[in-house]
Amino acid sequence: MSAPPLLARSDQLVKVTIDGIAIEVPKGTLLVEAAKTIGQEIPIYCYHTKLGPAGLCRICMVEIEGMPKLQIACNTTVTDGMVVRTKGPKVEAARATVLELFLVNHPLDCPICDKGGECDLQDYALAYGRGSSDVADPKLAKPKAVDLGPTIVLDEERCIVCQRCVRFDDIVARESQLVVKERGARDIIATATGRPYRHNFTGNVTELCPVGALTSKTYRFKSRPWDLDRTQTTCTQCSVGCQQYADVRYGTLLRTMLVEEDPISDGWLCDRGRYNVGFYESPQRLTQPLYRKNGRLVQVGWDDALILWCKALRQAIAASGPQSVGAIGGGRLTNEEAYLLQALFRALGARNLDWRGGRQRQATPGRHGGALAAIDSADAIVVAGNSPQERAPVLWLRMQKAVRENGARIVTASDAHSALQSSRDSARVALVWDGCDLATGREYAQAFEAVENLSAFITGEQGNARGAEAMGMLPRSGPGFSAADDGLDAYAMLENARNGELRVLSIFGANPARNANDPAAAAAALAATPFLVVSDLFMTETAERAALVLPAKGPFEKFGTTTNFAGELLPVNASLQAPEFALSDGEMLDALGDQLGVALPSSDDAHAIAVNLIAKSAADFTLGDERFAPEYPTAQRKTKILAGGGTWSHDPWLAGLRSEVS
Amino acid sequence: MPVTKILMEGIGEADLRSLDVYRQRGGYRQWERAVREMQPADVLALAEKSGLRGRGGAGFPTGKKWSFLPGKTFPRYLVCNCDEAEPGTFKDHMLLEEAPHLILEGMLIGAYGIASHHAFIYIRGEFKRGYEIFSAALEEARKAGYVGEKLFGTDYDLEVTVHRGAGAYICGEETGLLNSLEGKRGEPRLKPPFPAVEGLYGMPTVVNNVETLAYLVPILERGAEWFAAVGTERSKGYKIVSVSGHVRNPGNYEVPLGTTVREIIELAGGLRAGRTLMAVQPGGGSSACIFEEHLDWPYDYESMTKAGSMLGSGAFVVFDDTTDFVKAAFNLVRFFAHESCGQCTPCREGGSWLERVLERMVDRRGVPGDMEMLSRVSSSITGLNLCALGDSIEPFLRSVIVRFPEQFEQRILATAEQPA
Repeated sequence: MSAPPLLARSDQLVKVTIDGIAIEVPKGTLLVEAAKTIGQEIPIYCYHTKLGPAGLCRICMVEIEGMPKLQIACNTTVTDGMVVRTKGPKVEAARATVLELFLVNHPLDCPICDKGGECDLQDYALAYGRGSSDVADPKLAKPKAVDLGPTIVLDEERCIVCQRCVRFDDIVARESQLVVKERGARDIIATATGRPYRHNFTGNVTELCPVGALTSKTYRFKSRPWDLDRTQTTCTQCSVGCQQYADVRYGTLLRTMLVEEDPISDGWLCDRGRYNVGFYESPQRLTQPLYRKNGRLVQVGWDDALILWCKALRQAIAASGPQSVGAIGGGRLTNEEAYLLQALFRALGARNLDWRGGRQRQATPGRHGGALAAIDSADAIVVAGNSPQERAPVLWLRMQKAVRENGARIVTASDAHSALQSSRDSARVALVWDGCDLATGREYAQAFEAVENLSAFITGEQGNARGAEAMGMLPRSGPGFSAADDGLDAYAMLENARNGELRVLSIFGANPARNANDPAAAAAALAATPFLVVSDLFMTETAERAALVLPAKGPFEKFGTTTNFAGELLPVNASLQAPEFALSDGEMLDALGDQLGVALPSSDDAHAIAVNLIAKSAADFTLGDERFAPEYPTAQRKTKILAGGGTWSHDPWLAGLRSEVS
Repeated sequence: MPVTKILMEGIGEADLRSLDVYRQRGGYRQWERAVREMQPADVLALAEKSGLRGRGGAGFPTGKKWSFLPGKTFPRYLVCNCDEAEPGTFKDHMLLEEAPHLILEGMLIGAYGIASHHAFIYIRGEFKRGYEIFSAALEEARKAGYVGEKLFGTDYDLEVTVHRGAGAYICGEETGLLNSLEGKRGEPRLKPPFPAVEGLYGMPTVVNNVETLAYLVPILERGAEWFAAVGTERSKGYKIVSVSGHVRNPGNYEVPLGTTVREIIELAGGLRAGRTLMAVQPGGGSSACIFEEHLDWPYDYESMTKAGSMLGSGAFVVFDDTTDFVKAAFNLVRFFAHESCGQCTPCREGGSWLERVLERMVDRRGVPGDMEMLSRVSSSITGLNLCALGDSIEPFLRSVIVRFPEQFEQRILATAEQPA
């Protein structure tokens, strides 16, 4: 669980002896981190690798030769020749004292505490505590079950005032909502204003909290940690690709947790990634294929559904050629599924393929594409279009870290020219574009063309948009951006569907009737489509207009890979059993291929192809490239990440949060 | 024992709050001389040579403290600590209300000594009257050209800002004060970095007590040698002692360091008739008691430390044989528990626990084991804290438990009396 040792960035090494073991670490390294390199645990509560020392809890006392008093390991920088003892009677007495003091007012309600079993106070009390208590007086009573905000409940009595939550809010999230109020033994954690604690990253405080003071509303009283089965997977709710743990108890998803050592998320999750997972249990999930008969959707079996689908495709192609069929989707599928999707339709001769059912036009930055590290070392981070604060929240945290640690400047300007003016003296520029308006992308790319060290990133709307593009789900380029015959893009497909020229439209995990640039026009076109097939988890605005609705598996119910906005290939691992009759999009395509007599690669082969395509990624274009055109007027719509549609609106976990965001 | 008057010169005789009166008595002449004739380094050298040590409690050599500032980092600040809140101390309060110009002149000289262009004074929230008096004095001085730009026709600028606290003992701790001054919660900072390197607004800062800065004025006037000639080997000069408790004439008395404990008690009129001395707390609420065997010890930094206590801020509390030391200990422990900022565990939890046990003992509801708990916990929390507040809980309590154990034992219920 714990992060790797955080060593100082220095070429100069110093020798330090910890418990008789001589080591060399870079000058400036904190003692608590140096001890980790030899696996020596020094207990900590307030210190956190990503928050730095605070010196509050006083549990990390160690003995340093030549110093009369014990010293805190969290704020001591190692010096050459330092001799440290993390054991021995003095250190043990100090630890026991601090632990005894923590328990003077702590309620010791471990049997009903959600943290029980993964609590640092329990663990250290057991390891270093006295085992008995001299406390003969009643404990201080404080508020329990304080409703801190839409996501978090606070138990003031369990709080040990390590202030990790306060510092996270201040340093990392840059919200400064949480503060300590009152003083002495009466002090409590609260929001400074008294208003609900709410921003895009609140859930992280429940994991920073070393005790059971801060708990998620969605997880309270649901489980003991030892009953949970843990699976690591990639969050696909946006294009950042944070690693997360899915914790499942007896087949039910109870919580998701951050992965501390994950270099992509830097060990944080946004609230959407963390909490927007309750929909897996929603009673509104699609569980059966549905077919529209006499205007009403009726349940059919998969065999019938596949026959109907296959028949519609064959008839359309026979009557009007492959230009009369098309497919939209891929940005919410795995790489493998996106590959199979275009492979199947291209095998039929169809060229109308596009992942872009929403407002985003481009996901791959092409030759300016950078690695995530380019953000960390940038002098200026230029934002074009919508702010990543809502579109890619954890990227925004990374940008804030670059500001904090490397003095980067975040530039948001009205146009590319003034953005360039504002970052004139920056040698290294990271350009973060939302991928929506091609002209904007082109404008910025051209303005910054001369910057030698330019790294471009496209955040966008869908988790695997970049993977879909690399797999060939574009009307003008095939797998790996290979040349392909011109097909219709999503907008043109909808236009042609409206007038009946496009006869069969298959949509996978996309909802143009809600997310297209002009949702009403898209909805009308979808309603007029002769044969519309929609695969999704819920009866979306698009699915409502379909002739055939197919129940899909969610990302926690299938295996595969996804590609994040920086082009990294990341694993998608199943942790949940899907509803009985739900199929993954890949399984559906496979079955449809069988029905149509089209040979598709096996899932292993598709995986190998996907890995290869992502690794290859020979994209010589840049932002706003012609191949993503034609352009459509894109209204700038600012949406809160926790608002909007999709699975979020079906998530029973967070009905309260939804109503507050609306 | 003759009465000494250096800083207290004129107090009670003339209205030193008036700029005219202060000037007639030689006021601001040293300030003008410093700016016109001296370099900052000369002022620092004088401070060092005089042997002046901090009068706020820790007794750190003033010149040495200034010399820790990194040479070329600007801006840098001088902060005058007027958050006097140590139980038993009332010297700065008096100077603030009676001799505001003296404090200001000391601050100006001190700021010049560290080549600062901005000095702050942090005044305890409860000193509303003192704040008004000082602010009025500052305005007068500003109009008279002692504060502001291009002072005395030179290129030297010096601004002074007055800031009122909001009533927290912990803001007298220098880094807690700096946080409070910056508008943050008054919590001591983790050190290192020390204020001399990263202080107010992250810049090099010196925090000096009111009395310390005020002594710069007579030191400039009469010379470092004059100051260093008084006192003991390592405790030079004069000190205002705030005598309170069981004496006939409690009040502030200025004495040369090294004056004996007995002489100070006599200065304050001695004990009431028929009473005997039980203890003296010589350095404020944070200090341990000394007893009759120390009566002829010199009152200076080293001797008080040797006696197991400290000179501290010079709060001198006398206890005669009418004292209930359990109540006295409870009173002080309750104070520290109440004033703990709550940041760090030993002080926050330990103080509140000790308070609860002592409260029971005051009510005669002690249980067997309480005395052992008081000794064990108070001593085990000492040395573990982030700042000095937590380490201040033990000294008085421990000294009176050891000296007067019978007073504590009487508060323990016999086993038969204990509630089932």
